[in-house]
Amino acid sequence: MKRNNCQGLPSRMPDNTAFQQQQLPACRPSLTARAVLPGFFATGVSFLGMGILLILSAKSVKEIEITYTDLCSNCSKLRENASNFYKECTCSIPFFIPEKMPGNVYMYYKLHNFYQNYRRYIISRNNRQLLGEDNTDVENCAPFQRASNDRPIAPCGAIANSMFNDTILLSYYPNSSTGINVPLLSSEITWWTDKHVKFQNPKSSNLSSAFAGTAKPPYWRKPVYQLDQENPENNGFLNNDFIVWMRVAALPTFKKLYRRIHRIQQFADGLPAGNYSLDISYNFPVTVFKGEKGVVLSTATWSGGKNFFLGVAYTATGAMTWLAAFSLMAVHLKLKKKKASFQC
Amino acid sequence: MFCGEKKLLETERRVKANDREFNEKFQYANNRIHTSKYNVLTFLPINLFEQFQRVANAYFLFLLILQLIPEISSLSWFTTIVPLVLVLTITAVKDATDDFFRHKSDNQVNNRLSEVLINGRLQSEKWMNVKAGDIIKLENNQFVAADLLLLSSSEPHGLCYIETAELDGETNLKVRHALPVTSELGADISRLAEFDGVVTCEPPNNKLDKFTGDLAWKDNKYPLNNEKIILRGCVLRNSSWCFGMVIFAGPDTKLMQNSGRTKFKRTSIDRLMNTLVLWIFGFLVCMGIILAIGNSIWEHQVGDYFQAFLFRDEVVKNPIFSGFLTFWSYIIILNTVVPISLYVSVEVIRLGHSHFINWDRKMYYSKRETLAEARTTTLNEELGQIEYVFSDKTGTLTQNIMTFNKCSINGRTYGEIYDNLGRKIEINEKTKPVDFSFNPQADSKFQFYDHSLIESIKLGDPKVHEFFRLLALCHTVMPEEKNEGKLIYQVQSPDEGALVTAARNFGFIFKSRTPETITVEEMGKVVTYRLLAFLDFNNIRKRMSVIVQNPEGQIKLYCKGADTILFEKLHPSNEELMTLTSDHLSEFGGEGLRTLAIAYRDLNEEYFKEWFKLLEEASRGLDMRDERIAAAYEEIERDMMLLGATAIEDKLQDGVIETIASLSLANIKIWVLTGDKQETAMNIGYSCNMLTDDMNEVFVISGQTAAEVWEELKKAKQLLFERSTGFTNGYAFCEKLQELKLGSTVEETVTGDYALIINGHSLGYALEANLQNEFLEIACICKTVICCRVTPLQKAQVVELVKTHRKAVTLAIGDGANDISMIKSAHIGVGISGQEGMQAVLASDYSFAQFRYLQRLLLVHGRWSYFRMCKFLCYFFYKNFAFTLVHFWFGFFCGFSAQTVYDQWFITLFNIVYTSLPVLAMGIFDQIALDTSYWTVINHVFIWGSIAVYFSILFTMHSDGIFDIFPNQFPFVGNARHSLTQKSTWLVILLTTVVSVMPVITFRFLKVDLYPTLSDQVRQLQRAQDKATPLKSHKRQPRRTSSRRSGYAFAHQEGYGELITSGKNMRVKNLPTSGLGKTMYNSTSWIENLCKKTTDTVNSFSPDRTVKL
Repeated sequence: MKRNNCQGLPSRMPDNTAFQQQQLPACRPSLTARAVLPGFFATGVSFLGMGILLILSAKSVKEIEITYTDLCSNCSKLRENASNFYKECTCSIPFFIPEKMPGNVYMYYKLHNFYQNYRRYIISRNNRQLLGEDNTDVENCAPFQRASNDRPIAPCGAIANSMFNDTILLSYYPNSSTGINVPLLSSEITWWTDKHVKFQNPKSSNLSSAFAGTAKPPYWRKPVYQLDQENPENNGFLNNDFIVWMRVAALPTFKKLYRRIHRIQQFADGLPAGNYSLDISYNFPVTVFKGEKGVVLSTATWSGGKNFFLGVAYTATGAMTWLAAFSLMAVHLKLKKKKASFQC
Repeated sequence: MFCGEKKLLETERRVKANDREFNEKFQYANNRIHTSKYNVLTFLPINLFEQFQRVANAYFLFLLILQLIPEISSLSWFTTIVPLVLVLTITAVKDATDDFFRHKSDNQVNNRLSEVLINGRLQSEKWMNVKAGDIIKLENNQFVAADLLLLSSSEPHGLCYIETAELDGETNLKVRHALPVTSELGADISRLAEFDGVVTCEPPNNKLDKFTGDLAWKDNKYPLNNEKIILRGCVLRNSSWCFGMVIFAGPDTKLMQNSGRTKFKRTSIDRLMNTLVLWIFGFLVCMGIILAIGNSIWEHQVGDYFQAFLFRDEVVKNPIFSGFLTFWSYIIILNTVVPISLYVSVEVIRLGHSHFINWDRKMYYSKRETLAEARTTTLNEELGQIEYVFSDKTGTLTQNIMTFNKCSINGRTYGEIYDNLGRKIEINEKTKPVDFSFNPQADSKFQFYDHSLIESIKLGDPKVHEFFRLLALCHTVMPEEKNEGKLIYQVQSPDEGALVTAARNFGFIFKSRTPETITVEEMGKVVTYRLLAFLDFNNIRKRMSVIVQNPEGQIKLYCKGADTILFEKLHPSNEELMTLTSDHLSEFGGEGLRTLAIAYRDLNEEYFKEWFKLLEEASRGLDMRDERIAAAYEEIERDMMLLGATAIEDKLQDGVIETIASLSLANIKIWVLTGDKQETAMNIGYSCNMLTDDMNEVFVISGQTAAEVWEELKKAKQLLFERSTGFTNGYAFCEKLQELKLGSTVEETVTGDYALIINGHSLGYALEANLQNEFLEIACICKTVICCRVTPLQKAQVVELVKTHRKAVTLAIGDGANDISMIKSAHIGVGISGQEGMQAVLASDYSFAQFRYLQRLLLVHGRWSYFRMCKFLCYFFYKNFAFTLVHFWFGFFCGFSAQTVYDQWFITLFNIVYTSLPVLAMGIFDQIALDTSYWTVINHVFIWGSIAVYFSILFTMHSDGIFDIFPNQFPFVGNARHSLTQKSTWLVILLTTVVSVMPVITFRFLKVDLYPTLSDQVRQLQRAQDKATPLKSHKRQPRRTSSRRSGYAFAHQEGYGELITSGKNMRVKNLPTSGLGKTMYNSTSWIENLCKKTTDTVNSFSPDRTVKL
């Protein structure tokens, strides 16, 4: 019965590999005091350091927020009535910047209680249309697919329809009489991929013909190819404000980048301290959904904006780690002593 | 399964021989079997139907349907269909391969050839074309194709021998005999072709040992019983040919009727998992309800104002209805808490574990080239939970090989070897055996190590010669001379075979026998003895004798039997020798050997003739015949001279003792269930140290009536109870408690040392409803339980009893077909792939070659599997909860609108691609032993690999190219690039990691410090003494020496003596032409006697022997 392997006959004996015999070499991270305690101390130190660094840098960020829903109460009231849709309403809000805002300064608009993360809202868009491939593709855009004359809406969908359409201008008053318009840039406020990949205008000789046969979203005053009167390049689906809006926010209170301060003349080093005013053409109704809106001016650092969360979290974690490390050490030493006395 | 509507339920079967037309009227099944489930066309519908019967699959189908409703669909349909299709495909492929192999084996069986009598000629025909009523010719060692009525055979009187190992696991040959009228047909083809008998019998059933019917032929009716039936699955032995008529074919055969569908076995983890899944499902519903209520409130309070930006359908405007829809939407989103991949992963892990079992070199038996095999891949972790092991004896604990090991002749023992200093040397493979080459007839397999015995023979010690002469003469063995002159013994019991083979090797070669003579070659000289009388064995006598006359005319009685009986029959002059031999017997018994005492008596002719007259009278008498014969036997078997004793080793398999010891250390209870005699079973119990002399009590229950059994159980209980109350009284109890506590740390169990031995007859009563609790209670207190003389059905009943009443996980291990029922009814069945056919292995969940591998299977593979599975489940549920609860949390920010946080492809792939491998790797490869550890190469590969896969898929799906092709399906172009370049992203990842890991490490560190486990301590010790000292190997426990006298060693049925003396079982050609005197006594009724006796033994052995499979 017994076969001889030397004669080259096959044996059914399983291969003696470390894998098959479950004897693969391995390291077992064993929790000795010598490995754990230094690790804890080191982690604690680095986290505390990182936390403090983050807090300091967040603190250095200068930020000003002006909520203007109530400040422009006359306009808010006007907007509550849908029949006043085409009526213009402007509103000027003076404010004061106590400290100089150095470096790059960004202007955001901020909405409260606006549920851009509502599911039926989020799905109401069509990326193929936005890619400029087919204006008539309004699938998924319910309930804003077609206008009453059955023309496809471009851009279709609830997101596009609800686009934030206030215009905000910033004026600087070096002295009380004369105001200077702060130069604002709308370029490079979008993701590069959005501007160059995700959004494309339909191919045509000019924009208005490209969007021929489509209807504008019902809440819009102007068709999509006339969004920016000053810069013809900034129109159609490639309009920067439109692109920013289309990237929906995750939480009901959010701010979106609106403009960058163009660093020329006296604004080369940022916004100097002093009196400013916001000139707002108030179009976007927020009181209907009990929302609020505002403007945020902010500088930025390497770690982002004025957000203390990360810094505090790092500091707290670092502190907890140290606490744990000390208590572990205490327990360990006490037990060691006990054991030693036992052995005696 | 077999077109039930085509024919009505059969109440009676009528088959006419050689008349296919007649038989076709009844539409009996033909001999084609099919165990396969599907064919090419039915595969898809049936398989899908079966798969969707599984709750998990049905649940996901339901989810899929939900997702197709646009109002509800919060996720695209592909998030469900991709995993579902994957799972269905994997299962379908597995089922298809399984079925393919079933088709293959069916075909192989169906295409076997057999000789069928068609149109007056013998033709080779495939098995599947054989029909009821056909006449088949079988040849020696052929498998029987269908259930046959034996018509005639090559042996005289229409006898034939069959081996039924495939059916019931019994290896001894069984005799079947044809009706005298049909046996006359012989091999005459023309007469056989004319045979037109009609058999009327019971419809197909699964009772292996029952058959009722009659044969109507030539205006006569002959009753038929089981003795005339050869069943499919048997093998024809020792008969060169036989003819049979097919009664049941194919699916109607008893073999097929017995092969019921195997029960689907589930593990406790399966049940736990199902409960968990149900709870989690409840949790899911709760979350859904909470979020739905939230949605209603939100829609009512906020959503109404928000409408300005989202004109909604009128239906959705109703907050309550919106909440209802949201509920379903969230059920879809949150379904990842009960992920479909759970079931697949569990299957994969189990498959992996099974492969490790198959690959294990430590469970590979090189002598027979047998691998351990996990035949069921779904039960591995249950192996770690076994509490009760039910073991067969023969072939499982023992090798079923009897060897002549020692003997005591005239007061001197042989068989042990000593070195020069007189110390005993342990016999191992290096010990030089006695060289039997001087004897050309010697059996090369026989080995004996004591050279002094052969010297005694060569010196011509008359007692030694007489000893071996007796062994060569007094037995029921049949010799068979193969063509090369090689002598083969056909043995009834392996014990006898061992003895006769020993005599053969020592120069007393049993050559041949006729009814009147026995020819023996004694030291090269052929001597023919006249066999004057054969005093057969039976259970009461516990001995057998022959009376022979040698050529010199001396008459001698040779007797062998149980020492207790035999010692009473000795001549008083043997006193001294008897004490000496008795000591030797105790010694042998203590070593777990099966012993026999042997003695002889010289008879003078006068006395013998007188006695023989007495015997003849007794056997002629009608009333009290058996008693009178017994009395006659008693009369002559006295005043015998003791020759000595033999000791046969029922060889235990290697490592059985150690395995049993370590399994009991692991608190696993081992019950032995055997069909063997009580003596043999106890013997084995002692030799595997399951029974020891220092046990407090060994209860033997052998009552013949319910009342007796009840009495015995009560007594046993009383004894147990008294002892335990003794302990509760005062001091002794405390001591016992302390002992117990010590026992848990010291490697020694000190729990009550009791043993219970119960025989099959009593067990029948003990298993009845009114006694079973009592029985179970006592049995479970006992350290060792041995059930002997049990039927296959009882084996299953015992297992079932423990399973249901103890709620314990049971394992049954056996090698024969008689173990199938218990293998199937236990939680886990293990088959020993041994010599006794493959039936047990085929029914088992695991199979390997040696009992000792059970230790590794349970304590290594089982334990690891269990640990791995538990860890896997924790890990798995953890990751899915972590993944899914984010959506619950986000619900509070998104107006409970069922908006997902992750993109849909991430949700689709999270479970099946990104996170499956690390969990699986842990589930498959994690180890808990001290010397090995967690982080093998595989873990590294899988974890880092998964991360790499995640990023590569992420970048692919967020790439420009794929967006250009499917802008609506992959709208997240650029996300990866922008978020991963943010420093805060990385800072958050780092923070999360540390925050998650830190508490765990703290906890574990404190645990090791404050409450170290045993393995922690060992690990510390190992670290402390840098040089790891190798673990001491278990010292082989020395064989105990005990005062216990072992049982006698007859393992054969009574009645064979009569067969031999009548010569009916001998070939005509073997009969000598010379008339060596007249037949000793009239034996026309021998066959009736034999039948009566065999059925008697069968009946007493198993009153209700329906094999439930």
